[in-house]
Amino acid sequence: MTCRASSALRLLASGLALALGSTARAEGATVSGTVDVQPAKYLEETVVYLKSVPGAYKPREHEMDQKGMKFVPHILLVTQGDTVKFLNHDNVAHNVYSPDNEGYNLGTFKQNEVRTQAFAKAGVYSQLCSIHPEMLGYVFVGQNPYAAVVDKKGKYVIKNVPPGSYQLAVWNSKLKAPEKAVTVAAGKTVEENLTVKR
Amino acid sequence: MTRPRLIAAHTVLVAALLAPASPASAIPAFARKYGTSCLTCHTAYPKLTPFGEAFRRNGYRFPGVDSDYVKQETVPLGQEQNKKTFPDSVWPASIPVSVPIAVGANGTMQLYPDKTASVPRNNNGTQFSLDDLAAEGHVWAGASLDDTITLWAELTFAEGGAEVEHAQVLVNDLLGPKHAVNLVVGKGFPTITSFGAHSSYIADQGIANAPVSAMLLGSADPFVLVDNVTGLEVNGVIQGRVDYSLGLTTGKNSSTFGSFNSENWYAHVGFKLGGMRLDGEGSTGAEDALHPWAETALTVDGFYYHSNEHFDDVLVAPPSGPFADLSSTVGGQVRGQLGSLELDLGYYSQDHGRGWVNTGLPTPAYAKVTAGVLYGELSYVVFPWMIPAIRVESISLKPSGGASVSDLHLMPGIAFLLRPNVKLVVAGNIESTDGFPLDPTGAATAWQGGAGDTGPFVASPLPNYTATAKKQEFESLALFLAWAI
Repeated sequence: MTCRASSALRLLASGLALALGSTARAEGATVSGTVDVQPAKYLEETVVYLKSVPGAYKPREHEMDQKGMKFVPHILLVTQGDTVKFLNHDNVAHNVYSPDNEGYNLGTFKQNEVRTQAFAKAGVYSQLCSIHPEMLGYVFVGQNPYAAVVDKKGKYVIKNVPPGSYQLAVWNSKLKAPEKAVTVAAGKTVEENLTVKR
Repeated sequence: MTRPRLIAAHTVLVAALLAPASPASAIPAFARKYGTSCLTCHTAYPKLTPFGEAFRRNGYRFPGVDSDYVKQETVPLGQEQNKKTFPDSVWPASIPVSVPIAVGANGTMQLYPDKTASVPRNNNGTQFSLDDLAAEGHVWAGASLDDTITLWAELTFAEGGAEVEHAQVLVNDLLGPKHAVNLVVGKGFPTITSFGAHSSYIADQGIANAPVSAMLLGSADPFVLVDNVTGLEVNGVIQGRVDYSLGLTTGKNSSTFGSFNSENWYAHVGFKLGGMRLDGEGSTGAEDALHPWAETALTVDGFYYHSNEHFDDVLVAPPSGPFADLSSTVGGQVRGQLGSLELDLGYYSQDHGRGWVNTGLPTPAYAKVTAGVLYGELSYVVFPWMIPAIRVESISLKPSGGASVSDLHLMPGIAFLLRPNVKLVVAGNIESTDGFPLDPTGAATAWQGGAGDTGPFVASPLPNYTATAKKQEFESLALFLAWAI
């Protein structure tokens, strides 16, 4: 192939990629808003998610660290079928177990050791350490990846949502909120504010 | 008992009762815990608002879910989720980041305008006393371990030493609906009315005590209805309108006799019509946000208290113990509130099986005595920082085979909140006696009792008085100062 032909092919390929990319971005919608948490002290443990979004989601691998005697991040969002590697960057031994749903116990592991857990079912799994009972984290396992943890102002953004109609739900470790129906169109942003309380 | 011994005992007792009693359940540890002002629960502390009363009845917890209102940072000693793995995990709890302690002090200055009144007469004509201006120091602790278990303690320092006045563990919501069944274990006040023990703007306690065994038997450690005693109590609020309590206490006596403490039990039930629920649940706040103490409500309650206390046997020479005095007390109280105007009125009748020594018999012997105690207080919150009130206390003693005597104590006063946590009370003490109690030798002796702080019953007979002498006197003008931080 001549140099000119090669350049033309690369240009064509780039153009195609750009076009396909633009189409993908155009298809994705955004759901965003603010969650009013009452009382506000429970804001940190709040996840907004879409229920039952059809699709096949490629399994991914995530990490949850134990650092400074804390689970980091405090809430890890994964999709059913994903795997989580539990790390230990403390110089003390930790244990990771969850009493929720089917439950699991990954045993005791020392600094720099890694234990892995696959999450086949959707649900919220509290992460506890039997050696340090004050430690707490959550693995939020969604049916789909369309979920977001709220920020310090209660704001959330769920991006790249396929167009369609869904139920928007909130999980909070202590509080509850009714679900809301949302319909999203390609390339558009839907604003939905929510309130969670006792 | 010899005459000098009796006089000594009474002198000690009168002095003890004149000293400011333990004042307050005002505890800034709770203010820090919830990040809220004292005024959320108190008017002029320790007097409680309807919300404060609900908080107290709930075992020092907010209505709803208590932890929702806690602003103080806590250290988890285990996570809520550990409950799911019990018994393989320890049941979780949390503790506050900072030690939940508050401190305070209180004291009284007494002015005696009339030199011939009982106290100045017995104290070389003294017309004012600053001796008790810094009478007590307090350390309070109040905390919760979770949404059901709370802790409450009070350590008081005074000239005589330190005393643990309260040390209680409160296990709430044990059975049935919320607030229905709670257990209190430790040392504190028995719950015999629907309101806190310190329900007074003028005195230390709402209920006036009548220490019958002090006046008639010369006991330096008499049985009184309301005091700091160890015991167990089950209490609760049903449907927000009915409250009850059932308790066992060891009383205060007999530990010096080398035997078990006394055996007492009591029961109380109350009912509230109108105003905030007794447990504060479902409340949308005060009826008037600018007057959170105000409501239109009527609360009626009654109690029974059975006591088996032990005292020195004064009929044996030298006096030795113990001998038992069974007493039964039946009483009731009404609180009516019309906005900022409040009237508390209570009465109890107390029968002592062996409450006095009838010296008119061929051989002096213990005999029955009935005490009737009336107490009442009318108050009006003019401003949130100024509450005038008038308090009335009356004790009557009806000894079997002896002359009935009575004493009326009138206490007009004003409570000022200089700051939400600094209080000044100015109160007058006017006392009118119709006879004096008889000690075991048959001689007239001083009246004692009431609800201290600003002045208890103190009228004492002159040497030439008989038991039936009448006397009116302007006892004192008291300035009571307290702070807590």
